[in-house]
Parts: sequence; structure tokens; C-alpha cells
Amino acid sequence: MAYNYGQQQQQQQYRPPGPAGPAPVDPNFLGGIFQRVDKDKSGQISSAELASALSNGTWTPFNPETVRLMIGMFDRDNNGTINFQEFQALWKYVTDWQNCFRGYDRDNSGSIDRNELKNALTSFGYRLSDKFYDILVKKFDRQGRGTIAFDDFIQCCVVLQTLTSSFRSHDTDQDGWIQISYEQFLTLVFSLRS
Amino acid sequence: MAYPGYGAPQPGYGGPPGYVQPGAPGGYPGAPPPGGYGGAPAPGGYPGGPPAGYAGAPSGQWGGAPGGMDPQVMQWFQSVDTDRSGRITARELQQALVNANWQQFNQETCRLMIGMFDRDMSGTIDINEFSSLWHYIQQWRSTFERFDANRSGSIECNELQQAYQIMGYNVSPRFIQTVIYKFDHFGRRTLTLDNFIQSCVMIKSLTDAFKQRDTNMTGTITLSYEDFLTMAVLNKP
Repeated sequence: MAYNYGQQQQQQQYRPPGPAGPAPVDPNFLGGIFQRVDKDKSGQISSAELASALSNGTWTPFNPETVRLMIGMFDRDNNGTINFQEFQALWKYVTDWQNCFRGYDRDNSGSIDRNELKNALTSFGYRLSDKFYDILVKKFDRQGRGTIAFDDFIQCCVVLQTLTSSFRSHDTDQDGWIQISYEQFLTLVFSLRS
Repeated sequence: MAYPGYGAPQPGYGGPPGYVQPGAPGGYPGAPPPGGYGGAPAPGGYPGGPPAGYAGAPSGQWGGAPGGMDPQVMQWFQSVDTDRSGRITARELQQALVNANWQQFNQETCRLMIGMFDRDMSGTIDINEFSSLWHYIQQWRSTFERFDANRSGSIECNELQQAYQIMGYNVSPRFIQTVIYKFDHFGRRTLTLDNFIQSCVMIKSLTDAFKQRDTNMTGTITLSYEDFLTMAVLNKP
């Protein structure tokens, strides 16, 4: 049985697979962006400020879960906000995902359909059934259009990466099956950050 | 190890327990009614959205609103339906629901609840679906208030442990911490009503999915990679 789950991106957890993003952006340029995003001029970006600054290309508010997820990933000092240094890392992260997403969004519609999603995830190393792709689209399509927008795409990929690494840690003999107790199982799903 | 089981055969675990109180017309069926709401159960049970009989609503009890619509519900519907489309979206619902601290309900809980009551899968709910939803929220509100022993307007660790125990979920204090940590975005170590509802719906559907596979009731199941992903993705918030 083919048993392959997301082999290649394990090294770079939660990062978009594929070529690394563009060369580092000029800090002055980012400084300007930071100041615009930091509406209350506190020197820190809150999740509300970040949400209003991010665009998913469809003129709808950025998925709050994705925003929370990203703040959680880049907020190194755990104060719930992002300072300029943390913002630089976050910016690169979003642009890397954006490049990855655009590669699959052939018609530049700002969202990808089920087949495009399948192409993307297959190229990341996932081997999943069509039935499962239907579930993914249904679950991550927040706008009920049958397609996945940019913010939801990040969310979907990070969830799959997280779940896959949890599965791996239980699958000690690497046979694609795990034994899991009730509370382990509950804990695993409840601790999904997204 | 003693395996105390999960969700002892308590009627309607996962639903607002208050709901079992006498007076419920038609009695309480004890087991989730087949096909309650949440659409027709997909083959195999789980991949079809919320499990049938979500949170113990007896089918038909509220759905048809026998004897005409409650005027209060009508009034509510009209004030929630801000664009007068005759249908309520998750966003409109969010505008209308508040926690004890007057903060709006979180978006995920609103989406979750719309999904549960949206029988025609339109992504919105009509007045009949709204009427069921409205009663459902009232049930949760009174359940919440009952477990909020110190009347703080939020559920603390020990209150959540108690609530889950009464609903029949046997989980460790450590798991309770995980739940609180998951939903508490403000570091208050407590759950607001929306998060409480969301956590109860989640634990109910995860327990159902687990039980379905734990045919020998050993408390441990064997899962393939894709089955595992499916269970987690379908039941994640």
C-alpha cells in the first residue's frame, strides 16, 4: 500500500513547501507597512490590526483563525502582539505562502478549486483520496463557494501539517496505522491551534 | 486500568443537560434520534457533517413549530435579519448573539450553529430553522448558567470538569486544561458561553466518532492515516 504523508515539508514545519520566498525585503519598506498597520501607534501589532491589514484577494476579512495562528507562531515573547522584528518574519511567511498559492491559482481568481488544491497538496507529498479532498474543501471553504481562498488555504495546509506530524509521532512502526486512546485522541484534536 | 467509559449512557450527553428536565413534550428519547438534523447521515456515518441527532434535539420537536411561530422568535428573527432577506447568515447571527460580558459570539461558533440547523445546506437559515436554533441557544444559555456556580458569567476549570462529568464525559483535569487553553484567547482561564457551546459540540461529535470505531469499548482505537485526518478535520473547530 502506498503510504506517504507529506514527506517533504517536515523539515520546514508550517512553511509553504517549494522554493524559498524572494530575497529579504528592504526593512525600510517594511517599516512603512508596519507603521500603517499599527494604527494605534503602539509599536505593536494586535490581531485586530493584523486582520485588517491582510488581504486574501477576495475583499473579505482575513480568516481570524489564520490571523490567530500566525500571531501565535511569530509572537516570540508571547505577549499576544507582534513587534517590528516579529513582523518581518511574519511578512516573509505570508509572502512565501502567497507565492505558493499563486502557483496553483492558475486563473488568478484569488481562490483555488478542489483540483487545484489536490495538485498543490499532491506536490507537497500528500497522497489522499478524492473523498478526502471533498471534505477539505467543504471544511475550509468559509465562503461557501466550493473553492478555497488564500487565508483558508494557509489554514488548511497548516492543519494538515500539524495533524500529519501528530500522526507520525504515534505511528512508531511507520505502517500508516496508529492506536490511540480516547483522551489522547480528544487532546490531539482540541490542541489543534487552528 | 479501569476504563470508565466515555459518555456513560446518560441521556443526551453533549446536549444541554437541562434539556432532560421534565416537561419536554414527547419525553426524552434517551438516544440521539435518527436523522435529527444536520442533513442525512452520509454513508459510514461520519463524513457528512454533524452527526445525526446533534446535541440531543429530538427530531421534530421544535422544527415544525407546532401551533404557529412563537411571536418572540418572530421578533427576534426580524431584528437579526438586518438585510431583510428572510434568511440569516452566520454574520447576521454573530451580530445578534452576545456573551455575558456583552462581547459578540465568536465567528466559528456562529458558523457551527448555522451549519447544524441549515437543513437545506444553503449556508443560511430560514425562520423555521432559526426557531430551532433559538431554542437551542436558550437551552445552552441556561445550562451554562447552571454550571457557572459562582455566577461570574464564565465557566472556570472546576465548573467545566463538573459540567463534562454530568454530561457523561470522563476526562482528566489535564484535558480540561487543554480545552480551556484552546478556547480562551484572552488568558482569563475561563470559557464564555460561545466557547462553552463550541467545546461541548466538539467533544460530543469527537466522542461519537470515536465510539463508532471502538466497537469493543476498550477505550483505544486503531486508525489509518486518512481516517485519522478525516475525523480530525471534520470535528475541528
